[in-house]
Amino acid sequence: MKLEIVCAGVGGRGVLLASTVLIEAAIASGQKAVASDEYGMSQRGGSVVSLVKIGDCASPFIGRENAHILMAFEESEFYKTLFFLKEGGIAFVNTGKKILPGSVQDLLKKRKIVHHLVDADGIARNEGMIQSANMAMLGYLAFSNIPPFSEKQLKDTIRARVPEKFLSKNLAVFQKGFDEAGTGKVGW
Amino acid sequence: MEIKEEIMIGNQAIARGFIEAGIELAAAYPGTPSSEILPGIVDFKRREKLNIHTEWSTNELCAFEVAFGAAAYGGRKSACFMKQVGLNVAFPALLRSREKAITGGFVIVSCDDPGPQSSQTEQDSRLIAALFGMTVFDPASPREAADVAYYAMNYSFENKVPVIIRSTHRVSHARESVPLYSPGTRKTFLYEGRLAGKGTKLGIVASGMSYSLVRDVVEEFAAGDFVSIYKVLRVYPYDEGLAAFVGSMDRVLVVEETDRVIEALLGDRGKVMGRGDGTVPSAGEITYDIARDIIGKVLGQLGAVKKTFTPDLSIESALSDVAVIPRPPKLCAGCPHRASFFAMQYLWPEAFYPGDIGCYTLGISQGAVDTCLDMGAGVTIAGGFHDAFSQDGRLVPILASVGDSTFLHACLPPLYDAVQNGKKFTLVIMDNSTTAMTGMQPTPQTGVTIDGKKTRSVAIEEVVKGLGVSFLEIVDPYDVPLMIRTIKRSFEYLKGDKAVPAVIIARRECLLLKKGAPKDTAYPAEIERDCIGCKSCLKTFDCPAMIFQEETKKIRIDDSLCTNCGMCYYACPVQAQGKALKKLKAQAGPSEQTKSPDANGKGRGRSRKKN
Repeated sequence: MKLEIVCAGVGGRGVLLASTVLIEAAIASGQKAVASDEYGMSQRGGSVVSLVKIGDCASPFIGRENAHILMAFEESEFYKTLFFLKEGGIAFVNTGKKILPGSVQDLLKKRKIVHHLVDADGIARNEGMIQSANMAMLGYLAFSNIPPFSEKQLKDTIRARVPEKFLSKNLAVFQKGFDEAGTGKVGW
Repeated sequence: MEIKEEIMIGNQAIARGFIEAGIELAAAYPGTPSSEILPGIVDFKRREKLNIHTEWSTNELCAFEVAFGAAAYGGRKSACFMKQVGLNVAFPALLRSREKAITGGFVIVSCDDPGPQSSQTEQDSRLIAALFGMTVFDPASPREAADVAYYAMNYSFENKVPVIIRSTHRVSHARESVPLYSPGTRKTFLYEGRLAGKGTKLGIVASGMSYSLVRDVVEEFAAGDFVSIYKVLRVYPYDEGLAAFVGSMDRVLVVEETDRVIEALLGDRGKVMGRGDGTVPSAGEITYDIARDIIGKVLGQLGAVKKTFTPDLSIESALSDVAVIPRPPKLCAGCPHRASFFAMQYLWPEAFYPGDIGCYTLGISQGAVDTCLDMGAGVTIAGGFHDAFSQDGRLVPILASVGDSTFLHACLPPLYDAVQNGKKFTLVIMDNSTTAMTGMQPTPQTGVTIDGKKTRSVAIEEVVKGLGVSFLEIVDPYDVPLMIRTIKRSFEYLKGDKAVPAVIIARRECLLLKKGAPKDTAYPAEIERDCIGCKSCLKTFDCPAMIFQEETKKIRIDDSLCTNCGMCYYACPVQAQGKALKKLKAQAGPSEQTKSPDANGKGRGRSRKKN
C-alpha cells in the first residue's frame, strides 16, 4: 500500500503530535512509515507542515498533487498546502465555517476532492481542552476508517503516546470528533 | 531474537549508532539541524548505564578539539557534532587533524541545511571533505544514519583516520522506526552501488536524501526499464563501482545536495549532467517537485516518457482571492528581544544595526538588524563601520546586537579588538539565559551541564568588564523607557575621546524557559481599544499576536498567542495609548525627536506623522 498524508497547521497546536500518532499507528499495524517535518525558523504561531508517508517509499518527501489526505489544523494553512492534494484526495479542515469560499468549492469539486469541515477548535473548547483540537481531527479521521487508521488503532496509539494527565480529556475530544463525523455532516 | 525498534528522528538514530559502537566522549555546539544528536547520546547513555563524557562546548572549535584530543592522544572513541557552518569554525583543527594519527576513533558529524531553512547560507560538508581528502559518508535515511554512525566509528578506529558523516536536515529530522541492538552487536545494512532500475539509457547517481528522493520520483514515472540508479554512500573516496557504472550508461545525471561533489569527482563533462550544465538548479534544496521536474525533463529529452508531470494551476487561480494569514517567521509574542529592538529602533531609526546569528536575527523585520554574516561578525562589522567614518572625523550611531550564547561563542576577540582600537559603537547583548533558536540548550552562563549537573557560571558582565569596557549597563528590556535612556546615554559616552565600545546587557529570560506567561509584566495593553488602523505597530513591533483584520480595518490581538507582556503599549502612536509614546519621546530628548522622519525609506517603517 501507499498512503501520503500532509498535516498542516500552526506551531504549538499539536500538528507534530498528530503526525506522530499517524506514523506510530501505521507502524503498529505492520506498515512501513516515515515522517518529515517542516517548521523552519517558526516558533510559536508559525506555519508547520508534517509529511507522513506510509507503505512502500524511500523518501519522506511528498510532491505537489500527490497526497491522498490533507489534514489541515487551521484554515489558512489549508489553502497554503492544498496544492499537495491529488485529484480525488480527501481533506479534513479545522474551521468554524459551514462552507468554504465559492472558488474553493468549485476547485474541490473539479478535482474530485472530498472535504470535511470540522469545527475541531469548537469541539475541543467545549471539552475544556482548546489545545487538543488535533484529537478532534484524528477522531474525525478515524470515522472515515481509511486503512490503516481504524478507530481502535488510533485510540491505542494515543493511549501509548499522550501523558496520563491529559489522556482522558484527549480521548474525550477524540470521541467527540468521531461522533461529529458520524452525524453525517460531511462535505459535498 | 526479536529486535526491538523505536521511532526516532535521524539525529537520535545517529546517537544510537555511536552508543552501540562504544563511543566514550561526545562534544557539540548546538546548531540546527544537528542539535538533537548530543541530547540523544545523553538519553541513551542513561538508558544503557554507560560511562560517556558528554558536553556542550562553547563553540564548534572547542567541541572539535576536545573530541580530537580524546581520540588522537587519549585513545578514546570520540565524536563531535555541529551544523555545516559550525564546521567552518572548527576548520583550522579539521585540516590539521587529517595528518595526525588517531589512536582511538574520531568521527565528525556535520549536518547540512539545504535551502537553507535555518542558516545564513547553504554549504556542503562533503565538498570540504572531498577537497581535503577526508573520508565522508552521506546516509539516506534515519535508519541508515544509525548504521553509518556505528560503521564510521569502527572504520575510524580500525583505519586510524578521522571520518566525517554528513547529514542533512531531511535525514536529521525525519522520523522512522530504527532497530536497537545491544552495544557492540549492531547489524549494519549499508547500501551502495546500483540499487534500482535495469535501464542503460540513463544512469542516475545520487547520495544521501537525494537518493531516496530519486527512487520515489523514478517510481512515479515508472521509468525503471529505461533508468538505473546508483547510490553513493561513501562520497569520498568513492567506490570504483561508480566509475564502472558511469562507463556503462549512455547518459548520467547526478542529483546531490547542495554543491557539485560527485559530479566534480567524476569530471566527465560530456556524459554527465548535473549542476554544471544547469540541468540541476545551482542552489536550493532539491524537493520532490524539483526532482520530478529535473528527472521529467531529462526523461522527456531522451524520449523515455511521453507525458511528464504538469501542475494544475487552477489550484492557484482558485485561491488567488482567498484571504490567507501569511505567518512569516517572527519572534514569539512577548519575546524580550522584540522590546529591545523596539527601543533601539525608536531612538535611532537611522543608526547602522550590525546583527548576529540567533533568534534575534529576526530583528530585521523591526528595522533593527542590518547585517547577518556569521557568528560574532556583528561586533567586528560594527568596528569596521566605525572606522569607515572615523577616518573622516565623523561619529555615526552604530547599534550592534548579539545574543548571550553567540556572545560567548564568538564575540570575545572581536570585542577586545574594538576596545584595543578605541572603536565607538554600542553593543546590546540580548541575554535571555539560553540558546533559544536551537532548542533551549544552556550557555556557559547558565552554569548547568548537559547532564543537568550544576557547574561554574560565566557571568557575561564580568567578561565584558575584563575585556576593558567601562560603559556597561544591565537593563530589563521590558523597561522600554529605561532602555531608551540607556542607549541615549551610551551615545553621549561615545562622544568622549577615550571612549571604547559601550555595552548594554538587555537581560530577561526567554519566555520558552518560563513556560507560560511572565508574571511581572507591566500591564495588558489594550491596543485594540483605540485602534485607528494605521498599522504603525505592525511595522515597529511585528508581534505574531497582532493581526490586522481587513473587515474592521483594525488590529485584533490573538489571545491564544498574547502573553500580556504589555510592550505593544509603547508601539501605538495614537489616542490613549499614544501617551506612552509621548512619554518616550520626552525621554529620548529633542535631538532624536526632530530627526527627519522616514521620507526616503531609511527610517524603515517608523510612522512619525502622528506626532
